Amino acid sequence: MIMEIDHLKVSLGGAPILHDVNLSLGEGEIYGLLGPNGAGKSTTIAAAIGLLKRDGGQVRIMGKDPQTEAKPIHAKLGVLPEQNGFYDWMTAEDYLGFFAALYDLHPREGDLQDRLARFGLEPRPGQRIGTFSRGMRQRLGLARALIADPALLILDEPTNGLDPRGRREIHDILIDLSENHGVGVLLCTHLLDDVERLCKRIGVIVEGRTVAEGTIADLVRSNDRLVRFRLHVNGDVSKSEVPPTVTVVARDGEWCSVALSPEIDPQTAWRELLFMGWPITEIRHEGGGIEDLYLGLTEGRAA
Amino acid sequence: MTATGLIARKEAGDLLLSLRGLGWLLTMAVVLSVFGLLLVGNTELSLLDNAQVVYDMGGIVTALGALLAVVVGTDAVAGERERGTLVSLLLTPASRNSILLGKLGGQAIAWAVMYAIALPYFWAVGSTGQNLVDGAVSVALLGTPVVLGFGFLAMGLGARLDSARSSLLPGLIVLLLSASPLLLGPSLRQSAIGRAFDAVNPFSGALNAYDAVIIDSQSIAAQVPHFAVTFVWLALTLWFAARGFSRVSR
Repeated sequence: MIMEIDHLKVSLGGAPILHDVNLSLGEGEIYGLLGPNGAGKSTTIAAAIGLLKRDGGQVRIMGKDPQTEAKPIHAKLGVLPEQNGFYDWMTAEDYLGFFAALYDLHPREGDLQDRLARFGLEPRPGQRIGTFSRGMRQRLGLARALIADPALLILDEPTNGLDPRGRREIHDILIDLSENHGVGVLLCTHLLDDVERLCKRIGVIVEGRTVAEGTIADLVRSNDRLVRFRLHVNGDVSKSEVPPTVTVVARDGEWCSVALSPEIDPQTAWRELLFMGWPITEIRHEGGGIEDLYLGLTEGRAA
Repeated sequence: MTATGLIARKEAGDLLLSLRGLGWLLTMAVVLSVFGLLLVGNTELSLLDNAQVVYDMGGIVTALGALLAVVVGTDAVAGERERGTLVSLLLTPASRNSILLGKLGGQAIAWAVMYAIALPYFWAVGSTGQNLVDGAVSVALLGTPVVLGFGFLAMGLGARLDSARSSLLPGLIVLLLSASPLLLGPSLRQSAIGRAFDAVNPFSGALNAYDAVIIDSQSIAAQVPHFAVTFVWLALTLWFAARGFSRVSR
């Protein structure tokens, strides 16, 4: 495991904030950390990376304790905090160069521009960060978090302020990092779409306690929730066969409501339906699955 | 370049390249211009002699330097924390001591810039007399620990308090109390309370040394007690900043 948190307890100003947080993240895994506002996600991250002292429990990152061995951990750690500030008078290239130098890296000519371009920040000579949009700042923050090619990446709301294309690009980068470079990613977000697309395992924190941890499929299954979709079909399917993985809940003209068990990959189900002659033209996610699970676990708490 | 050097250079950039920093330097230059004109006007009218205006300018430069140090010191820790830039620095492999030293270096650069801005004003008010060089050297030697001490105090407060505003206020209050000898008359300063205050106040230490060197023409080497007060102040505030910074968590 690249990151392990066992029974973490943290107090701030004498008030207990985290009571019992557990989390384990492997190499090449993208792990979703969920919870309502004020549940303790950011405090968990701060304690995990050694910025806050813990009252109890254990934290190991790459086998080391961040409270006593911060320097080697920070050398292989990339973090994008939720409140991520910049030196507005610098250019993006100066900014990345400054952080590269703090990591004792000496990028070659053009390396920094290549990194910026990878995050959709094309070279703009002389343009200061102070003139950047929120989305551009978010991309620059991600580029900075990845400056030292970290083994562990901790991202707090990384797609905040990004348009759908930008979100998709960031998703693709994270998937590439985890699948092809073995980077472990701890993703802290409210966007369940991001979690469903990127994460296999999640942890849910409520009032400073981990109330659920495991694979999305297992958690949703144990929560006994079906994943619901609405399908638009171009023609009559009342006589068409239905594969056993799909349950037709209702029909309303050209729209059909269907439910899938959480362990079923929707793409497989759609292929089977198409194979059986369903002329599907549109698919809409209707809820169920992780959304119902999250709402159930955090019921009565501020979202 | 070391992490300390990189951070000191960044701090200098914060002062010299950001609108906020340039605004403060411009304000200092305007205030010095106003005082310079007043002092030159007084000299022309023979209300003050040359030694007195150089002494006054030394006090003003030290007070303005300390004010700039409080602002820059507050911004270096509390301001960076509020803007969300400090955490990114804390999460690099650079040690806390390196980051702190870099920020202390930034304070020194800010004072050096302020001093450089003040030199033409020294010349403007004191070029016709014999005390100009003594005045400038006194401010460099005794003003430096006083000014840097206020910067370190502001950094220590910024590390301990929640916001830049709440840490700026106590820093300014300490500065006003310390700089009050500039406003006190000679009789008050000769009272028991005035003498006790002078003995521990770094600002008084610097001003008394300026008085002895510029007005009484004593040698700078003879100002050991005044040096002692200002350097004890510098050491205490450095300890205060280091202790506070070691506890900064975000």
